[in-house]
Amino acid sequence: MLDLLVGALVYSNLLALLAVGLSLALITCRVSNFAQGDFAMVGVYAAYTLSVIAGVTPYAWIPAAFAVGGFVSLLAYLLVFEPLRGKADLVTLMVVSMALDMVIRYSLHVYADLMQQQFKVYTRLFMFDDFFVEVAGARIPGVLLASTAAVVALLASLYVLLYRTKLGVAMRAAIENPGLAETLGVSVKRVFAVSWFLSGALAATAGVFLPFRVMVNPDTGWSMLLPTFAAVTVGGIGSLSGSVAGAYLIGLSETVLAYQLARIGISTAYRPLLTFTAIIATLLASPKGISGLWSGRGWSLRRRS
Amino acid sequence: MVATSEILAFLVSLGTLYSIYAILSSSMELVYGELGLPDFAKSAFFAIGAFAAGALSVRLGTMLVGIAWEGEFKLRSYYYATLTSAKVAANPVLGLMLFLIPLLIAVPTAMLLGVLASYPALRLREDYLAISLIAFSEIVRVIARNYEPLVGGTFGAGVVDVFAWLRSPWRELAMMLTSAAFAFGAWLLLYKLSTSPFGRVLRAVRDDEVAAAAYGVDVAKVRVWAMALGSGMAAVAGVLYAFYIGSVNPDDFTVSRTFLVVLMVTVGGRGNPKGPLLGAAVYLALDRAILFAKRLLPVPFDVNYLAYVALGALLILFVTKKPEGLAPERPLLTVDARAVEEAKRAFHVLEQ
Repeated sequence: MLDLLVGALVYSNLLALLAVGLSLALITCRVSNFAQGDFAMVGVYAAYTLSVIAGVTPYAWIPAAFAVGGFVSLLAYLLVFEPLRGKADLVTLMVVSMALDMVIRYSLHVYADLMQQQFKVYTRLFMFDDFFVEVAGARIPGVLLASTAAVVALLASLYVLLYRTKLGVAMRAAIENPGLAETLGVSVKRVFAVSWFLSGALAATAGVFLPFRVMVNPDTGWSMLLPTFAAVTVGGIGSLSGSVAGAYLIGLSETVLAYQLARIGISTAYRPLLTFTAIIATLLASPKGISGLWSGRGWSLRRRS
Repeated sequence: MVATSEILAFLVSLGTLYSIYAILSSSMELVYGELGLPDFAKSAFFAIGAFAAGALSVRLGTMLVGIAWEGEFKLRSYYYATLTSAKVAANPVLGLMLFLIPLLIAVPTAMLLGVLASYPALRLREDYLAISLIAFSEIVRVIARNYEPLVGGTFGAGVVDVFAWLRSPWRELAMMLTSAAFAFGAWLLLYKLSTSPFGRVLRAVRDDEVAAAAYGVDVAKVRVWAMALGSGMAAVAGVLYAFYIGSVNPDDFTVSRTFLVVLMVTVGGRGNPKGPLLGAAVYLALDRAILFAKRLLPVPFDVNYLAYVALGALLILFVTKKPEGLAPERPLLTVDARAVEEAKRAFHVLEQ
């Protein structure tokens, strides 16, 4: 029972980081980024490589993974999405992000092959060793504490960045009305670049926690993508606070429902059905998602145009 | 020395595969190229065709020739497929029935599922539709992979050789000609639709949904029809694919396959009926070139991975540098092309 709760919370934490990252791509360049899960895997392999070389726990390499994931995402923005900004329609942007998913995912496969030969370690279906903390007689895995700390710290920093700094004001202005922001002297390209860096960095950070719970390979990012989309859809596309709420709603309900289904003999492999149901139910009932409930007030950044 | 017969066999096999991809890309062109809908569940509708052949051909075959079935489907389907194929060798009509019945079941099923899967998001922005279709696509694959009575789960399913009544070079040729006939039919359907008033309605909705609606077009209805037709066409390709390969494996129908079809349409040229034919040819040529390169290049990793990286990069290059593709969409014949260009220029001046 405890393990179920821990699993649900860790899963939700990861979804929250991924969903906020996905939303950042959505509200800046209107890209439903299919490569978001791959940024997470970039983080996994960055942390894994460094911990193999240095022999330290992958937790120590979270800042490095953050930077590498952010850098890859920044490159994707500068090379692909910036040239298409304002020119390509929604569907074209999605198609491009699908191509980007192919490029990154299969580059990671190549990297995994090379890494295996170089370091003689498993580079597919591996896991990280975790530490445990005794709390009131229960063994709490470190990944729960670490991922919760990361979510709180990163989301708080993001909030401060967006609402308490000049850069944040420029970012929000550029998101709400790029044309007007540009006229007023905001370099839209620069603030969008910052958003994209953060988008990939958040995903890569989430990625580092993944191998503490499940075995991963370069395709794992793709399987995280659908629940992330579900979280963003349920939360309301384009809303950052909605994405966080959606992540916990999807993460907790999916884990608990999958557990209940397993008890009546239905394989947990059917989990995508739950995700799909959540997406469809949201679209039928309230396409604006749960952030539609508080839209326009508080932390609900969304594009007006 | 390579024997002439080997080269011929290679070409016949290539022709079959090309026909199947041409059907897929034509169906994608109809939904994505002409109407602009992100039909990201293409691999699922393709899979439904293949699964119909995988689930039905052996079961129907054994039933019709009166072979009693023993053991689980996942373990025995290949064995019974071989037994039934031996019976088909003496009975062409049986082969025809085992080909047509799965086809007649697959097409309406795919059309219906195409409408059902897209229905909740048809009136919303395209990204909602894309997400729900991707999710649907994963569900089809996950169910087929885990529900073993359908097509044997990860074991896959054997498929009856419906041309077993022909000798070896002729049976492959028959497979190719059948596929080519269906491909021609699918392409003709696309061509006729594209050049008809319906085609203009599709492109009008793609270019400006609100304007099209203002002119009285029922946007949701147009989308329902396009999804139904596109999904049905993909199912035809799936049935042919299953009979061509001779077996069905659920893991063959991932989103990567949808990506390949999108690649074909984009490279070929969206909005031009020639585009899907050209795109499928370009993709197949690249795919075969990569196969050859695999033998020549001794690299310390799997070349297939590199191939996907290259194909992804190719699509990005096309969208950023040559978005109109190899065969660009032609302006409407009813309007003078020069007038269109002048109007565009005037519009740009106004914008600045």
